[in-house]
Amino acid sequence: MRAPAEGTLRGIATFLATFGVGVATYIAIADSGGGSPVCIAGGHGCQTVAESSYSHLAGVNIAIFGLAGYVVLLVCALLRGDAFRMTAFVVSLIGFGYSLYLTYLELFTIDAICQWCVASAVLMTLLFVTNAVRMLGYVGTEP
Amino acid sequence: MVKLASAGVFLALVVIAVLIVVSSGNSGGGDSGNIVEAKEVDGLLAGIPQKGMVLGTPGAKVTVLEFGDLQCPVCKGYSEEVLPQVIENRVRSGKATLDFRNFTIIGPQSKPAGAAAIAAGEQGRGWNFVELFYRNQGTEDSGYADDEFLTAIARAAGVPDLARWNRARRSQAAIARVEATSAEAENLGFTGTPSFALEGPGTDGVEAIGTPESVDTLESAIEHAGK
Repeated sequence: MRAPAEGTLRGIATFLATFGVGVATYIAIADSGGGSPVCIAGGHGCQTVAESSYSHLAGVNIAIFGLAGYVVLLVCALLRGDAFRMTAFVVSLIGFGYSLYLTYLELFTIDAICQWCVASAVLMTLLFVTNAVRMLGYVGTEP
Repeated sequence: MVKLASAGVFLALVVIAVLIVVSSGNSGGGDSGNIVEAKEVDGLLAGIPQKGMVLGTPGAKVTVLEFGDLQCPVCKGYSEEVLPQVIENRVRSGKATLDFRNFTIIGPQSKPAGAAAIAAGEQGRGWNFVELFYRNQGTEDSGYADDEFLTAIARAAGVPDLARWNRARRSQAAIARVEATSAEAENLGFTGTPSFALEGPGTDGVEAIGTPESVDTLESAIEHAGK
């Protein structure tokens, strides 16, 4: 099966990463103001997740790490070449793996679901799939 | 290409593993540097009068006595799963008051923790202290409930005068009260925590009900005690 055109994959990745930057920025800003993200559908899930001990890594809100990841993915989507194809694949795999772990925590440890975290997990999953296809189909080819 | 991709996958897995290890290091509870759920506790108790360790409108028909140990994980479960509904349905409406009494059975830090709750109660934040302690409880009797942890809980619970709280929690009066309520629990025949007793027009004095199986059991016992 032939991979979709790389330009299409990069376009999809650009779109997804831009959304990711938005979501992570919102969560980071909500936390920095001493509050927590507001669940659009109501409920206290976002507050519970944001106040759990898992929301920070070494004192830093994990949304900041997420934001950094999405920015790297956005840059990699905009640029051509093997280095960016590989970096996008590795970074999105890290994001995807860690999102899986965080979703597991929400479901089974924190017992609360935050829509913003779910949105980020979905975006990161789609980015991983897109970047995996890009890497498998185009690494070693001309930019 | 395959080698490069494998190296990338390996690198990613290592990073994920490190992130998970660092993250799970935060999760044990009992962490004075990371007191959580203060807002939830504030929301649960907002607008309900507190006097000493009694939560609710004075003169309510039924008094619910909870004999608990702040280090007890089952009490934590009750605090999170059972009491919020009782507080919303019975206490907030003025039908019942909740009176937390220490029954220290877990370990040496239970008594000073109980005294610290009583000291917070002297400043109108006793229930905030108890609820916040439960929500941040560490591994049973692991030594986490030290002065630093108690102070972090008191601060997050909104105890206004920490110097006064510090003096009060170390006072003989607070310790004696913890011991007195523990003896009272034993006299009621309790052997574990949390144990409950009710007092109201439908009871014969203070009536021990033990540890209710569910929130419905506790609510119907409160209903019966009010008749």
